[in-house]
Amino acid sequence: MGRFIVRRLLQGVVLLVLVTAIVFVLGRMTGSPVDLMLPEDATAEDRERLIRTLNLDGPVHTQFLTFVGNALHGDFGTSIRMRQPTLDVFMSRLPNTLAIIPWALLFAMSVGIPLGVVAAINRGRFLDRASGTVAVLGIATPSFWLGIVLIFIFAVELRWLPSGRMGGPEHYILPVITLGTFLTAGFMRLTRSSMLDVMESEYVKLARIKGLSETVVIWKHCLRNALIPVLTLWGVFVGNLITGAIVTETVFAWPGVGRLTYEAVIYRDFPLLQAVIILKAVLILSVNLVVDILYAYVDPRIRYS
Amino acid sequence: MLLNTRALLPAVCAIFAAAVPVHAQEPKGTLVFAVETLAAQTLDPILEARPGNAVYQAAMYDSLVGFDLAKGGVGPGVAESWEMSEDGLTWTFKIRPGQKWHNGDPVTAHDVKFSLERFMSPASLAAAAATMRRSMKSIEVADDLTLKIHTHHPQVGLPASLSRAVAPEGSVMPKTYIEQVGVEEYRKKPVGSGPWKFVRSVPGDRLEFEAVDHPHWRGRPKFKNLHILLIPEEATRIAMVRTGEAAIASISPETIRGAERGGLRVVSVPATMQAVFQFWGTWRPEMKDSPLAKVRVRQALSLAIDRKLVIEHVMSGKANVPRPYSTFAYSEDLSVDRWKKWSEENFRYDPELAKKILAEEGYPNGFELKFANTALPGTQFMVAVGTAIADMWQKIGIKVTTKHYEWGGFPPLVRAKDQAQLTGWASMYRAVGRPEAFWRYNAAFSPESGERLFGDPETCDAACKKYVELYRSVINERDRTKRTQFNDAMIEHVANSWLSIPVIEGMGYYAVNTEQVGQFDPIPGRHELGDVFERIPQPGDKPWSK
Repeated sequence: MGRFIVRRLLQGVVLLVLVTAIVFVLGRMTGSPVDLMLPEDATAEDRERLIRTLNLDGPVHTQFLTFVGNALHGDFGTSIRMRQPTLDVFMSRLPNTLAIIPWALLFAMSVGIPLGVVAAINRGRFLDRASGTVAVLGIATPSFWLGIVLIFIFAVELRWLPSGRMGGPEHYILPVITLGTFLTAGFMRLTRSSMLDVMESEYVKLARIKGLSETVVIWKHCLRNALIPVLTLWGVFVGNLITGAIVTETVFAWPGVGRLTYEAVIYRDFPLLQAVIILKAVLILSVNLVVDILYAYVDPRIRYS
Repeated sequence: MLLNTRALLPAVCAIFAAAVPVHAQEPKGTLVFAVETLAAQTLDPILEARPGNAVYQAAMYDSLVGFDLAKGGVGPGVAESWEMSEDGLTWTFKIRPGQKWHNGDPVTAHDVKFSLERFMSPASLAAAAATMRRSMKSIEVADDLTLKIHTHHPQVGLPASLSRAVAPEGSVMPKTYIEQVGVEEYRKKPVGSGPWKFVRSVPGDRLEFEAVDHPHWRGRPKFKNLHILLIPEEATRIAMVRTGEAAIASISPETIRGAERGGLRVVSVPATMQAVFQFWGTWRPEMKDSPLAKVRVRQALSLAIDRKLVIEHVMSGKANVPRPYSTFAYSEDLSVDRWKKWSEENFRYDPELAKKILAEEGYPNGFELKFANTALPGTQFMVAVGTAIADMWQKIGIKVTTKHYEWGGFPPLVRAKDQAQLTGWASMYRAVGRPEAFWRYNAAFSPESGERLFGDPETCDAACKKYVELYRSVINERDRTKRTQFNDAMIEHVANSWLSIPVIEGMGYYAVNTEQVGQFDPIPGRHELGDVFERIPQPGDKPWSK
């Protein structure tokens, strides 16, 4: 088990180095923050001065090595735009994203899993096809479009809910639905296929032979076992939510790390962009590592493969 | 001495009349403004660029030089007057008496000196810090209400450069307070002298201000609170105004008609910028035989553009036919009426004449034109304008190959030593609204500039040299009448070169919920509302008139 964890950690480190290098180089290929900070009639002298002030002078590889050296000591640099340590900026926004993710997961599971069960027990029939349609729509509907449509219906026309921003419970409803809809389809499809496997198993047949009601067989015996692979994909889904929150947070003016990423890109705030992407990668790797460890703990074949 | 009661009566009535409205107009309620960006969201002016300063810092900070509210451009601010010395090397600013900081301290010339020096300090991100350091020799406090700025050379544009109509570098900060509490504490609890005082900043979400409880020279706010919300998505901003969650929101031209259909009033700010197209590297030897090297061909490309159609369909009818490059109705030292007439004549739509000119110049079947379409930050509609004019060129036989550039990728091509990737191309570009035209001219046409549309220092031909001579005459001339003549001559020289050609005079746009706020007008040329919030009336109150 120890070797398994060490191997996973080493893979994670390699991945982080790659992510860092890619973000560092790609970010700089898209232009300079100085061009966004200066007016069109700024002089070359003012431009040079600002480049020096922001430590954007010098070759890219030197800047990269400096960044990596500092990052190893926990210093991810200072945001060009906000002039604050990027780690502080990220940590100040992370709670806002984490506040919405559990609800989006809960929404996706509470809709997707029952739909998956219904689809499985009605395999090939209307309800199965209807659930499949819901799943396809969930995956195919762009978050920005869904978010704006929900705002138009529930905020502008019906005046039931606020248009956006963080606030009381009513502020969570539309962003949670928007963020969770994409995952609903994933949960539904996975639950359906897992349920179909389980429903053919010997212990389910035994349960039926014992005379248990179909409701108990399906919702207690089948679903319990069918949920094991669903729950192991939790890590992937949490990762999707952390990265996928960019659009939802932008549409609903939610001040989380998703929108922070968007702002870092728009302003070419390289240190912030690097920090946000790397810290998100660390988060996703950590969640996946925990899931892998748990899965390996549950299923020894994983450890030895 | 006998009192003349008849003479006193009007005065008594005036005092009474003045007292009643003051009581009746106590600030109340909250003015909520939704905007697409809060930029750096810092209340330290040395860390913020121009747009952020104009959107939200302007609410709580005053600028040494302010606005001409009616016309746009430069007007009184913290300084109520200023004048240049006989030798042209000293500007004297007279500080408006009776101003105070939000902590009660008086605003003095010491604060102004401190602020200018802070803008020039190494920690400053101010765009013009290096230019200020180069041009200012020293700053002297003559007395509490008199400041002298000594310059190395005559700087006729110095007051304008310290006006919020142009740049944030005139923002005045509290010297004593910052020295007492330190910079870090000041950034957490900033103190200004504007009509709104700081309450709270929630990063990535909003800024909250409260109206000052004393009269202010910019006007006492009609609302008790001002909340500026960061709402990046335009559809959400409009939804918030429609639902009353916000009273005012910034919008783009594309959504004007939708906002109006939704029952919102659209306020447009005149003359905030020009969308232009320009020709790169026409002076290079390899361009000798290119059609773009010919002035009349470039003029023909301008005649092929139906500006009114662009205004109607791309800008939803809310834009103007432009004046010559980087000039506006509020431009200083300029024969504005003359240039208005010139534009009406020269920026007309005449595709037949355009084709005729092309034929006369040897291109009866048109030619191939490479066109770089791009938009500067905040003016995304420029891409649609570019697409429209490319279509119009096609109609007179020009075979246009369009390449789209995200703005971040475009400036490096402009700054490249030989402009290899742009030479022979036309592109979209922008001229921001400035009261003094010569800054933008310097950036576009000076041989030392990045754009260098007339030529670089090594290949500065007769037209280029004439431009340099005229530009120097403008910036060195202290007599306003003569400076106007030089300015007109410089503008004429550039206009007749047809190197950078305005397409439309753009505006800033805001969707307004009329149940939340009364009628107000923006400041011409001032896209942002940071200097307007205090003048916005309550719904049903008398409209603000300048």
